Amino acid sequence: MSRELTYAQAIREAIALAMERDDRVFLFGEDVGIYGGAFGVTDGLLDRFGPERVRDTPISEAVLAGVATGAAMTGMRPILEIQFMDFITLSMEQLVLQAAKLRFMLGGKVNIPFVLRTPAGAGTGAAAQHSESLENWFVHVPGIKVVMPSTPADAKGLLLGAIEDPNPVIFVEHKLLYRHKGPVPEGYTPIPLSQTQVKREGADLTIVATSLMVLRALEAAETLAQEGIQVEVVDPRTLKPLDEQPIIDSVKKTGRVLIVHEACKTGGYGGELAAIIAGSEAFDYLDAPIRRLAGLDMPVPYNRELERRMVPQVEDIVDAARKLVREGI
Amino acid sequence: MDDRTETTSSPERSQGPSSEEFAGLSPDSLREALRRMLLIRAFEEQAEQLYFQGLIHGTMHLSIGQEGSAVGSIWALRPEDYILSTHRGHGHSIAKGAKPALMMAEFLAKETGYCRGRGGSMHIADVETGNLGANGIVGGGIPLAAGVGVSIQMQKLDRVVMVFFGDGAANEGAFHESLNLASIWDLPVIYLCENNQYAMSMSVRRSMNIQDISQRACAYGIPGVSVDGNDFLAVYRAAKEAVDRARRGEGPTLIEAKTYRWKGHSRSDKQRYRTKEEVQEWQARDPIRRLAERMMAQGWLDQASFQALQEDVAREIQEAVAFAMESPEPDPATILEGVYA
Amino acid sequence: MATPVIMPKFGMAQEEGTVIRWLKQEGDRVEKGDVLLEVMTDKVDMEVEAQASGILQGIRVGPGETVPVTTVLAYILEPGEALPQEATPAARTQAPAPAEETAKPPAVKASPVARRMAAEQGIDLARLTGSGPGGRITKEDVLAAAQAADQAPDSSPEPGRVRATPAARRLAREAGIPLDGIPGSGPRGRIQARDVERHLAALAASAEPEAQPIPGPGARPERAAPLTGMRRTIARRLTHSWQSIPHVTFTASVDMRQAEALRQRLKPDVEARGARFTPTVLLALAVARLLPRHPRLNAWLQAEGDELLLTQHSQVNLGVAVALDDGLIVPVIHGAEELGLAALAQRIGDLSQRARRGDLQPQEVMDGTFTISNLGMFPVDHFTALINPPQVAILAVGRARMQPVWDGEGFQPAPVLQLTLSADHRAVDGAVAAAFLADLKAVLEEPARLLL
Repeated sequence: MSRELTYAQAIREAIALAMERDDRVFLFGEDVGIYGGAFGVTDGLLDRFGPERVRDTPISEAVLAGVATGAAMTGMRPILEIQFMDFITLSMEQLVLQAAKLRFMLGGKVNIPFVLRTPAGAGTGAAAQHSESLENWFVHVPGIKVVMPSTPADAKGLLLGAIEDPNPVIFVEHKLLYRHKGPVPEGYTPIPLSQTQVKREGADLTIVATSLMVLRALEAAETLAQEGIQVEVVDPRTLKPLDEQPIIDSVKKTGRVLIVHEACKTGGYGGELAAIIAGSEAFDYLDAPIRRLAGLDMPVPYNRELERRMVPQVEDIVDAARKLVREGI
Repeated sequence: MDDRTETTSSPERSQGPSSEEFAGLSPDSLREALRRMLLIRAFEEQAEQLYFQGLIHGTMHLSIGQEGSAVGSIWALRPEDYILSTHRGHGHSIAKGAKPALMMAEFLAKETGYCRGRGGSMHIADVETGNLGANGIVGGGIPLAAGVGVSIQMQKLDRVVMVFFGDGAANEGAFHESLNLASIWDLPVIYLCENNQYAMSMSVRRSMNIQDISQRACAYGIPGVSVDGNDFLAVYRAAKEAVDRARRGEGPTLIEAKTYRWKGHSRSDKQRYRTKEEVQEWQARDPIRRLAERMMAQGWLDQASFQALQEDVAREIQEAVAFAMESPEPDPATILEGVYA
Repeated sequence: MATPVIMPKFGMAQEEGTVIRWLKQEGDRVEKGDVLLEVMTDKVDMEVEAQASGILQGIRVGPGETVPVTTVLAYILEPGEALPQEATPAARTQAPAPAEETAKPPAVKASPVARRMAAEQGIDLARLTGSGPGGRITKEDVLAAAQAADQAPDSSPEPGRVRATPAARRLAREAGIPLDGIPGSGPRGRIQARDVERHLAALAASAEPEAQPIPGPGARPERAAPLTGMRRTIARRLTHSWQSIPHVTFTASVDMRQAEALRQRLKPDVEARGARFTPTVLLALAVARLLPRHPRLNAWLQAEGDELLLTQHSQVNLGVAVALDDGLIVPVIHGAEELGLAALAQRIGDLSQRARRGDLQPQEVMDGTFTISNLGMFPVDHFTALINPPQVAILAVGRARMQPVWDGEGFQPAPVLQLTLSADHRAVDGAVAAAFLADLKAVLEEPARLLL
């Protein structure tokens, strides 16, 4: 039986379930305790679990990432919240040079199981330094896993899965999704990482999308269905390590693929996906070029309309899909 | 190293009037400490030789001359206590009980090394002896130590974590963040700064506006103390006090051990930034010789036994080298192992 | 001002032409009126003259290539002028896939030429506004769109390189067919999977099962050579005719005694006028005089989008088939119903002669409304001819053979001719065809009836 929860509520539920189940799990970060989290995600957890397990911290992203790593190395399962993904830049040394590499450098003799949760994305008028989508930076670092849930059910399940995973996981939440409602199963229901999901079936076009763009793609698919274009929407969910096969199978079926992500196009995850598809057995089934729809290569602007235009909207996805299907471009 | 364990957990009253002078350490314990320092020096000298012979590749950071601070501080720890070390961490590893043979094997990038040949000199670790690794990033271990401290606290373990770092690291932002966090959460961390006067070529006189790094402790409301890093006993005393504090849950301490490295920063260092005179001046304060002399003055050591120690150590190092040389390289088929759990 | 050299249209129903050879080369200085190249249209060779003086540049259609009429073949430039930026040169095509006629009817109104050109140029007809009657999209509209469209900077692939998607390549590879010649409906003429699928469907519909003859022990390997030139054109035409026209045939036997007697009597007079009075001439006269009374047989049936248009002609443009060394050609006598016997005989004689010499003008093989094909000079009693679209009928004439004919009292020997009318059953029903044959038989058996 599933009921409807918001994305934020689903995440909170996952944290609580994990903390109940396993004493080693603890939550820390800026304003996660008394304040309940900048986006209200961790509201109530301090009261429930106490200040030792739900720790408010000073503004010290570098040492916070180090705490996550050091604690994970020595038997704990930390959940660190970095308040905006933009600030992860202050944690880069500890994440990239320590968390990602210590296991390998130490000959596999330690595990570093922590989850770094962070809200990302534009659309709240928070402008350039509070609206980043940096997931592809971490896709590029071996030793780290990257997860981007698009629905409340995925958020809950994948967070539980991430906490169980013995590797460091960057769990990227989208600010605009926090209020989004959806069915969420009850109880302890982890979803293993690295399982791509087909969210909608169709035979004419594959759209591979991440995070918020999955929802926009699904909306676009509804519109396109009325025009006789059947869209298959594929959600990788875990960007790294990627479960490639469902994407390849989908492209083989439809012969056309449109990749949609919010992060800016150049150097974005879409390039990685396009190369994977073009280099796979799906190549011989492509009936049109592989297309990417992504954020413009620019800092997120303050002006609302400009901010809106910077990121793929439903209409943009519909247009691109039409062009690809009807004109092959 | 059971001998030492017994000694440090329940300090034996030594025979003779100078037990205070020797901080409650027994002659056996002191002898073991001396041997440990000799082992470090012999190991480092041998590593240097192998490097010159082209058998060790990459780079190396030798701690010859700093044995007093390494052994003195770690002598205050129990086997289950954690350490995090620096790129100049061979001495800390050996002090904490790492086997020279497995360290040598790691230096020669062999599969039998502590890190299966994947880490090398700068990343030596021996997790079983609580050694969470040397670190190639200046100050890289400092934030990790805070995490270990949190871990100890939350698991209610009777342990402490000692993190080593140099004068250069004390200028990194992470140092300040870590001390601050440890201070507000009363983390059981001993911040052990080995101030060897130079961060590569940058003298402390030019890189900071204060005389003693220990002065920074007051910015975080924690105790800070500077000691002569080449005086084994002075270091031991300060460390012991800090460790006891941490174990009692009273929070972190910053210890500055002033010392000097005899060799250049790394193998490629031309040492343009210091004078030969300065080096010689510090070499005169050799921590090994100083402890040996003090023990001899007490009658707990003589030339012959000192010689015997040196020969014993030399033998151990030779065996270590032999073991390392004979060990196999990693199998290329296992190249991706260890990236993900 | 760059002057395009285009594939000319010489006749109403001509849709394409084939370049035979260039008489001027890339970079040559040409004067207005110079012959630039020879082309073949509807089996007749034509010369194409320069419409301006200048430098001949940008030749993009070579010998043996067939393109739709009005396709730009080259340009004549003023010295120093650059070639105009164009969308894509026309794709070379082979046989129009017969399946195009039977394909799902498209929703947009466009002429067949426009449709084909749009497909080859990768232009979506739905995006064009038609300037033709009823908003029909014409070839001019498509040309204009092709010129206006500024697609990717990299233009045509090197000659020989085919643009096709990986899916299209795979399908072609799996079917064992080459990609060349498959018209591409994708952008810039790119061959898409659906183009290959359509092509395969067409092949499946038209092809006989390809049984490679297995050579026996003593067989010598023969060399296969492609059909070229006129033969190829004939092959295409006939395939088209056979596949798109439902042929129905009607045979009548005609007692030729009176016709023969008449022919013998008038022969000297006709020959005095410099013409030969062959049986064909007489047949032609009879057919030409009778067709105006059977207009449904003197008509064109043409596909226009999803409609079939029937044009009944008042004038009879009678085609008379002439056998050549390696083929068949049908010169046309325009307004044959008006010609007297001698004139008709002259025309037929002249056309046949020139046909055998390869000396016909394009208009002399065009716009026929009915065709007669006479094999009576051979021991062929009866045969079925294939209709020349857009005509709806053709009359095949066999040899006159002595047969016993019942005259009411007894059997008399008489030369009997078999006439076989093939008609397009979409436009011509049995009764219509039978009525014509009845008339024709009556007139031939009693020529005086022509006066009626």
